[in-house]
Amino acid sequence: MDGPTGELEDRSLRPLTGEFWAAVDREELVRPVCGDCGRSFFVPQFACPRCQSTNWAYEPSSGRGRVHSHTTVHRPPTPAFTAPYVLADVDVEEGWHLLTWIVDCEPDQVAIDMPVTVKFVTGPDGHRLPAFAPDGAAR
Amino acid sequence: MSSVHPLHRVAIAGVAATEMARQLDTTSAEVSLRAALAALDDAGLTVADIDGVAARWPGPGGTVFQPGPADWAEVFGRPLRWVGDTYPQGVPGVLDAAAAVAAGLCETALVFGGQAGVMGGAGVADYTRPDNEFIACWGSLTAAQFALVAQVYRHRFAPDLERVAAIAAAIRTAGSNNPAAVMAGRGPYTAADVLASPMVAEPFRLLDLCLATEGAAAMVITTAERARDLVQPPVAILGGGAEWHRQQYVNPPRYDEVWGLGADAAHRAFELAELGPQDVDVFEFYDINTYEVVRQFEMLGLCAEGEGADYLWEAGIGVDGRHPLNTDGGLLSYSHIGWGGPTLKVVEAVRQIRGTAGPGQVADAEVALVTGAGAGAQYHNAMILGRG
Repeated sequence: MDGPTGELEDRSLRPLTGEFWAAVDREELVRPVCGDCGRSFFVPQFACPRCQSTNWAYEPSSGRGRVHSHTTVHRPPTPAFTAPYVLADVDVEEGWHLLTWIVDCEPDQVAIDMPVTVKFVTGPDGHRLPAFAPDGAAR
Repeated sequence: MSSVHPLHRVAIAGVAATEMARQLDTTSAEVSLRAALAALDDAGLTVADIDGVAARWPGPGGTVFQPGPADWAEVFGRPLRWVGDTYPQGVPGVLDAAAAVAAGLCETALVFGGQAGVMGGAGVADYTRPDNEFIACWGSLTAAQFALVAQVYRHRFAPDLERVAAIAAAIRTAGSNNPAAVMAGRGPYTAADVLASPMVAEPFRLLDLCLATEGAAAMVITTAERARDLVQPPVAILGGGAEWHRQQYVNPPRYDEVWGLGADAAHRAFELAELGPQDVDVFEFYDINTYEVVRQFEMLGLCAEGEGADYLWEAGIGVDGRHPLNTDGGLLSYSHIGWGGPTLKVVEAVRQIRGTAGPGQVADAEVALVTGAGAGAQYHNAMILGRG
């Protein structure tokens, strides 16, 4: 993702998803919301997966959700990542879900249905990422 | 004539798999060509007999334009009447070619692919590292996507972990007994061996997960009428179907959406074959991990949801078991070769029906079920093969 100079890519220029990443850089979580049927969806698509309307916009999310599923990765796909880390599919309360990390707790403390809240962290490439932490975890 | 289903007017006339290894000292193009020519030889045909090709073009040379089979037309020195580049491997590869043959778009199609000279180095195979921007940034890998599904299964049903591990042990022992397998002679394996192997992504340990190796595989599809005049006994396509849920490795797979994936495809395949899952003599399942095997037996309705591991423990999945499974050692232990892995399933099923499968041969195997893909990939396919 990064250029040969080592400078961070400007993710806000990405088609379709630039606004999401720009919000992450401001430590805000947003999601696409259909202007016609009201559906929140993720990942961003050019059209709403419920009604196929292209009339959608990013709106702020509460950043609160629950762990739908999780797995602790012990063998990363590339040396850039340091194991172990917890990958999770988090259901966010507006009715959408995303792949993320669960941070600020031991991997064996993560459980399905555990309430979590967004916590912005820095990924191995230097970009900010919307991870989640258990409610009540040290901030 | 009109009462015969189009798929039943087509047969698999030739199959081949090259040698398999962690690394081969050749290229993807060369190893793919070797498989292609070997499958033609198996059928008693030459390149002069083919008028259809389904295969990716792995380079070098060629062009950036699709479809890849047009580049293969140059190598084969002949124009083609039909090409397939959508999914030129495994069950969809056979069904697409069979549809073309049945419709008269071509008479004899070659479907092939594989990889060589690409593995090795640090990390995992590049095709197991999805590059979507909402996947790659988290350090996800294909095994982890499947793990998200298996973890919900464990949460709901708490399967006996030894009985789950026994599935991987049985498949890997079959591979150990197959001289052509990458893991030949490495076993036999026990459930304890699987449970003692390092964790990769919970609940998957190293021995729960498939290989990423090199080699190629190929199949020749032609009319049943022509197949009867060739050197091998024809293998009939009794039924088949596919399900495409969504693009793989973009959104994380959800248990409730994908644990039953393939049930519709399998149902349509069995309906066309006028058979049921109980009639299958040998199962060649896409064993990308152990839980996928559990899932597919539950999806077929051979046991209830949550009971797969107990069911298979009792039924047996070895050559002498009630449900002989992945008799070549599967993706876990025989080989998994990128754009050719799904074809290996068809190759083994064809050999089982012919009665030439080697140490994994199931006595009097007449009906084989082949599957491809899985829950984590969010698409699945199934095909039933029998004697032509």
